[in-house]
Amino acid sequence: MIEFTRRTLLCSGSAAVFLGATPTEAEEPFHLGLTPVFLDNDAEVIGRLRTALAAALGVPIELEQRRTYEEVTGLLLEGSVDAAWLCGYPYLQHKDALSLVAVPVWNGKPLYQSYLIAGKEDDALKLEDLRGGTHAFSDPDSNSGYLVTASDLARLGLRPEGFFRRTIFTYGHRNVVRAVSDGLVRSGSVDGYVWETLAKAEPKLTERTQVISRSEWLGFPPFCARADRMGEARLRALREALLGLGQTEEGHIALGLLQLDGMTTATPELFDGIERRIRDYENLR
Amino acid sequence: MEAIRRIPLSLRVPLLAAGLMILVGIIASRQVLSTLGQVQDARIRELAQLQVESLSVALGPHVLRDDIWEVYDTLERAAGETEGRRMVFTAVADEHGHVLAATDPVRAPLDSPISALTEGAQTPETLSVTGDAARVRLLAPLLYQGRAVGQIMTELDVADLVAERWRAGRLLLLGNALATGVLSILGYLAMRRMLMPIARLVRRMRETADAPEPIPESDLPRGDTEMTRLVRTYNAMTDAVVAKADTERRLAERERFVSLGRLSSSLAHEINNPLGGLLNAVDTVRQYADRPDVVRQSADILSRGLNHLRDVAQATLDQNRLDRSSAPLSFEDFEDLRLLVGPEISRQEQKLNWQVSASGEALSSFASAPLRQVSLNLLLNASAAAGTKGEVSLMVSEKPGVLCLSIGDSGDGLSDAARARLLSDAPVPPGGGVGLRLVHDLVKELNGSVSSERKESMTFVDVAVPIAPTEVSSPC
Repeated sequence: MIEFTRRTLLCSGSAAVFLGATPTEAEEPFHLGLTPVFLDNDAEVIGRLRTALAAALGVPIELEQRRTYEEVTGLLLEGSVDAAWLCGYPYLQHKDALSLVAVPVWNGKPLYQSYLIAGKEDDALKLEDLRGGTHAFSDPDSNSGYLVTASDLARLGLRPEGFFRRTIFTYGHRNVVRAVSDGLVRSGSVDGYVWETLAKAEPKLTERTQVISRSEWLGFPPFCARADRMGEARLRALREALLGLGQTEEGHIALGLLQLDGMTTATPELFDGIERRIRDYENLR
Repeated sequence: MEAIRRIPLSLRVPLLAAGLMILVGIIASRQVLSTLGQVQDARIRELAQLQVESLSVALGPHVLRDDIWEVYDTLERAAGETEGRRMVFTAVADEHGHVLAATDPVRAPLDSPISALTEGAQTPETLSVTGDAARVRLLAPLLYQGRAVGQIMTELDVADLVAERWRAGRLLLLGNALATGVLSILGYLAMRRMLMPIARLVRRMRETADAPEPIPESDLPRGDTEMTRLVRTYNAMTDAVVAKADTERRLAERERFVSLGRLSSSLAHEINNPLGGLLNAVDTVRQYADRPDVVRQSADILSRGLNHLRDVAQATLDQNRLDRSSAPLSFEDFEDLRLLVGPEISRQEQKLNWQVSASGEALSSFASAPLRQVSLNLLLNASAAAGTKGEVSLMVSEKPGVLCLSIGDSGDGLSDAARARLLSDAPVPPGGGVGLRLVHDLVKELNGSVSSERKESMTFVDVAVPIAPTEVSSPC
């Protein structure tokens, strides 16, 4: 018969806990949801981001990419991904279930604008001048790529499908710029941060477009996680990693490629402007 | 056409060969270009079919969902990946024919009718690039899961294929021109060499002055070709020409002898005929030497007879050309004739009917010698034909513009040989007398005519000579 002493049991228990839990914690990759709506499929940016976060978190990073915000938000809500880089609009749509992890800082602020753009030769000066034309949105759950223009129209008592002759969704801010630049559509609603970034990285694409109007400053698309999982160590680690992204070499390069200054914490109030637009939009609906 | 005929054979044949070569070259070039066109058509059809099928697979779901961006993005990517940018423009329409997206949205705006772009578009099955257009349009249904959900219109850049065909055409043209030129020159030289015997033959024939000269054996074309046979035939012909010339020369010589014989015979005849009368006159002089009137009459006869002999001699000297400038015909000439034939008539105890009813004026319009000769010959011939105790007649009459001499005899008529000599212009066969032929020739020279008829057991030879010498006489 084997005799177990208290020390042996403790040691055994500790060993069992260590053997059973540690490999799971250590090997379970961190799933981060991304969408090309905001972040284009730039292999280098994604690679750098993955490396920087993996180094910070100490686990492999699995980047789960989907075409739409709706799909990524769904993955986040069902737990298939641990966190996701979303937009303020889907965050606010699921504000009760989601929490903010970090918000990127661009030009010193966690804010950005929505741009209404048209072809370079177009003589439109404001949104009303685009009536009857074709218009490109990026995603129906995008703040800058849909909600801003839709709420502006709602404030005029109009709906996009009635105001424009035809609207299309490109599921990417860069695609909106391409659609307007190539003449596929007359105008488009695009993330101001993306347009400005493209103006530096791909000036040939943006120089065939012009910004007709800019929205007010709104909360930058945040990294979110499920509120009920915010206490988890890996989410805390993610927050630390994001906030300290500029401290690591890989993170610094990734931020440089994204033309971001860094990451910061934020409260839901940052997105009050979007909140107001949602209300205006839904009031008409 | 006439100008072509004037071109020498040695140039015409090579030119013809060159023309045929050019014709063959053109046909061959057209065939090659046609085949090239077919190959290009097959290639472009296969490519277009593949492209349309690929696009259908890629675009089908997006078209079905009316996902314009995805359609556009797919077209963009497909256009960027097309080999050599063959597809320079593509537009996709929904099943109602409204454009969903195009690689050039400015050219084919969203929702515009695709029919505005499909003018002259071909189907994938009939796609052809044989024209000169650098771009061709293709319209195909967009099939997805077995049903047409839209249409694809694509514009293909076929400038390289057109250029390839032009390049092939130019190379063919150049090659054919070169080949034709070289072969034409070779053909010209070969033809010239082959036709050289003919040229030599022509030169020989042209240079021939009298008799053609044969081409020496050493210059004969080698082998038993048509040319060799032609030259041999030519040589045989030159031999034949020489032989013929020899024969003609011999015949001419013989003819000369025949003429000489005829002349001698005629001379003897003409001298012999009056001799009887002259000797008779001499006998009369001897017998009646004491009667001056008889002697004078006989002397006159002798004189006229000798004058006649002189005329005959003169005529003989002139051969066939009797002296037309001699004394005019008169009644005395016929009296002379009567005297001349008298002895022969008497000898054969023949009856002679003599009637000269023509006017002296009519008689005097003729020279005496030819008609005397004609009358004498015919009378002697009639006397010979009438035989012993036969009957001979001479009638000289005058019709308007015509002097008629009719000599008759009671003989059996003219033999065929005599008839031929007297009445026809046919050559006289060797042998036989020349008197009748002389009559024929003399009458012909006087533009007169000779005929013969048999009437009441008498044979008459009628001679009609026009009083106006240019007119051809009508028969008496």
